[in-house]
Amino acid sequence: MLTDSNTMASPVLPPPRSETGVVGRMRANLFNSRFNSAMTVLAVIVIALALWFGLGWILVDADWTVISTLGGRMIIGQYNIEAACPGQNCFWRPQAGLLLVTLVLGMAWQVAGGGVTKRIALAVAGVAAAFAFLPYAFSQMGLDVRLLLLANLPALAVGWSLARYTKLGTASWTAILSVTAFVLTLVLLRGIPGVPFLQPVSVIFWGGIMLNLMLAVAGIGLSFPIGIALALGRRSELQVLKLLCIVFIETFRGVPLITLLFMSQVLVPLAFPEDFPQNSLMRAAIVITLFSSAYMAENIRGGLQSLHPGQAEAARALGLPGWQTMLFISLPQAIRNVIPPIVGQFISLFKDTSLVYIIGMLDVVEISRAFIQGNPEFLANAKELFIFLALVFWVFTYGMSYVSRRVEQHLGVGER
Amino acid sequence: MPTLLRYLSYQGVPIWRNVYAIQWVSQIASGILVVVLVAWFFVNIGNAIQERDIPYGFGFLSREYQTPIGQHFLDYKSSDTFLYAFVVAATNTIVISIIGVALATALGIFVGVCRMSSNWIIAKAALVYIEFFRNVPLLVQLFFWFYIVLALPPVREGYVISQRFYINNAGISVPWPAVNDAGMAVTWLLTAAVAVVLGWAVHSRLTRRERNTGTPSNSQAWGIATAASIGAVAWLALSVAGDGSPFVISQPEPQGTFGRISGGFTAPGGMIALLIGLVTYTASFIAEIVRAGVQSVGRGQTEAARAVGLSALSTLRNVTFPQALRVIVPPMISQYLNLTKNSSLAGAIGYSDLTNVAKTMTQTAPAVSIFIMIMAAYLAMSLTFSLIGNLYNRHIRFNAS
Repeated sequence: MLTDSNTMASPVLPPPRSETGVVGRMRANLFNSRFNSAMTVLAVIVIALALWFGLGWILVDADWTVISTLGGRMIIGQYNIEAACPGQNCFWRPQAGLLLVTLVLGMAWQVAGGGVTKRIALAVAGVAAAFAFLPYAFSQMGLDVRLLLLANLPALAVGWSLARYTKLGTASWTAILSVTAFVLTLVLLRGIPGVPFLQPVSVIFWGGIMLNLMLAVAGIGLSFPIGIALALGRRSELQVLKLLCIVFIETFRGVPLITLLFMSQVLVPLAFPEDFPQNSLMRAAIVITLFSSAYMAENIRGGLQSLHPGQAEAARALGLPGWQTMLFISLPQAIRNVIPPIVGQFISLFKDTSLVYIIGMLDVVEISRAFIQGNPEFLANAKELFIFLALVFWVFTYGMSYVSRRVEQHLGVGER
Repeated sequence: MPTLLRYLSYQGVPIWRNVYAIQWVSQIASGILVVVLVAWFFVNIGNAIQERDIPYGFGFLSREYQTPIGQHFLDYKSSDTFLYAFVVAATNTIVISIIGVALATALGIFVGVCRMSSNWIIAKAALVYIEFFRNVPLLVQLFFWFYIVLALPPVREGYVISQRFYINNAGISVPWPAVNDAGMAVTWLLTAAVAVVLGWAVHSRLTRRERNTGTPSNSQAWGIATAASIGAVAWLALSVAGDGSPFVISQPEPQGTFGRISGGFTAPGGMIALLIGLVTYTASFIAEIVRAGVQSVGRGQTEAARAVGLSALSTLRNVTFPQALRVIVPPMISQYLNLTKNSSLAGAIGYSDLTNVAKTMTQTAPAVSIFIMIMAAYLAMSLTFSLIGNLYNRHIRFNAS
């Protein structure tokens, strides 16, 4: 009886109030020891002071007009100045390129069936369209510019419908069309001699964030396959091939990119015959791609090393030839294992595109610096400009790492 | 025909389907292709040199450089040779790299530990720091710091802290030891080196005794005491024997009508911006490496350490960290290399590092030779860093203890 009453008398009690809810969580996380409480108080004071002065500076003291003064030059550089495009207004060409991009993004959205692709597509088209409603710098942005920006929304819809209602709605078509869109954008920007409304624009006038993005896209698209090839070469049993790959990788990894870029301007022109078609932007793109693929190769090699040899052995035992084993068994798993470092390399490639200043290209960072140097009245506002630039880069890079996390979730890394 | 096929076959497999033959032929072909390509480049460069009358060779190295270098840690004047100027520039890069590596390691470990704190606010603050600094191009950060430094007041209106520290747009001036008597200074430095070695010997001997017998010994305190006392005695002896101490503290002082600071050590604005930028940027990567390393140590290790009564700090220092180091060191080495290479951005904010000086040199010297030298210099630095790092790595690996 006694035992019975004991068990009867103790129903499951809820945890004490001090252990649950906001108070409980704060006790457990912020005030669980004397030292921790002191740290919390200190951190709160520091953060509060930083917010107080930071917000005060951002809202009251900072003069953000430097950004609107620079305006569109941060986006397309000097592409639309008179010297670049004499007698014509060339502003529509980068805009048409952007429209092509949103079109392909719309297709990708439909093909991927929503998810992270949908968010990217909506974000790109939405931001582009939102630019049309910018209140300031009316003088710089005519109605035509604003309408072309707004056209990104219908372009997205057209792309989506193309994928939905025609036979183009497959992953391979989207891939082919995105490469086509990139090449078309390049052709649009470069111009075609002889075509009246597409007069050539020298690459020295390309600039702004447009230049950074194009270098990054080309670099990412090309350095990935080259990196895989180099990684396979370095693991190959063919000694000559292996040696060549090692020399290539270690040389490019041992020297700063800025040195390579600089030398690509001084030395590479000498290494080709004088009539060889080349320009500074092309050389920069090639150097950035090769530099990045050397790092990419090491990441992928790490991924290949992390695979159990049993995987390849099993594939060979099932009768797959060597190249199919590599392509369908080893590489997919290896790449899946090293998604974070690969995306990290993509991010640093994007950040490294700001180094083209060394060859005199006016990317978004260099055009800002040159603007400050040319307009000393804005010297005191350089802080604002570079904080803004930092935020712009941060949005892109953080977006990339967000996508990588989603892809990893999708592929179930760490679960299988 | 069948006879020919038989000659070209091995065990019934024709030569064009023999794996070894294919491999060898393709290897030789690719090797030849690369050699031909490289040779073609060199022929083209040679032609260009002849046609356009471009200087070449390494004869320029003994010529006078005749260009000023902004900052230099070694003595330098414009009449020095190209070779010496190159060394001066390389020293600038090396000094920045060493200071940067030390500071970035300290800050990175601090932020990494904060990131793992159980305190929500501190962990999130560290996360914001990491996510911000490593996602923004270093160049943007450098420009930001550079313009902050430039926005400091001019020399005459600069900040002065207790007549010893001067902060203005020319840089930061601090008191710095200056050599009083060269002979005495060298003697004392040599003695100090011996003192450090002796202190280390005492420390390791006491540690070994403690490990073997269990007798507690304050090995660290004794080691430091040994080194410090020998150093101090030598200092006193030298001061008494000669006139004045081997080193004196040189105080920065404003001079003349423009208030230019002389004496002490002045770190120019470009160098400060470069250091702040490099350190905060690299620290954000190091913090993540530290976190990954510490998290790779099993929870059981920490729990066991706490269960036997070690404090949280002691657990981190004596149990978690030594084990985490094995995971931390290899990626840390590559971060150090990255810092060294990233210091080549210095040119953008007016610090005379190796790349910046070499870039200026190409205006008066053959670019091909400069390119070879600069490649060699950076590769040598990278290899030295890797070598030191790998030696340390071997020291802390499992089998070493």
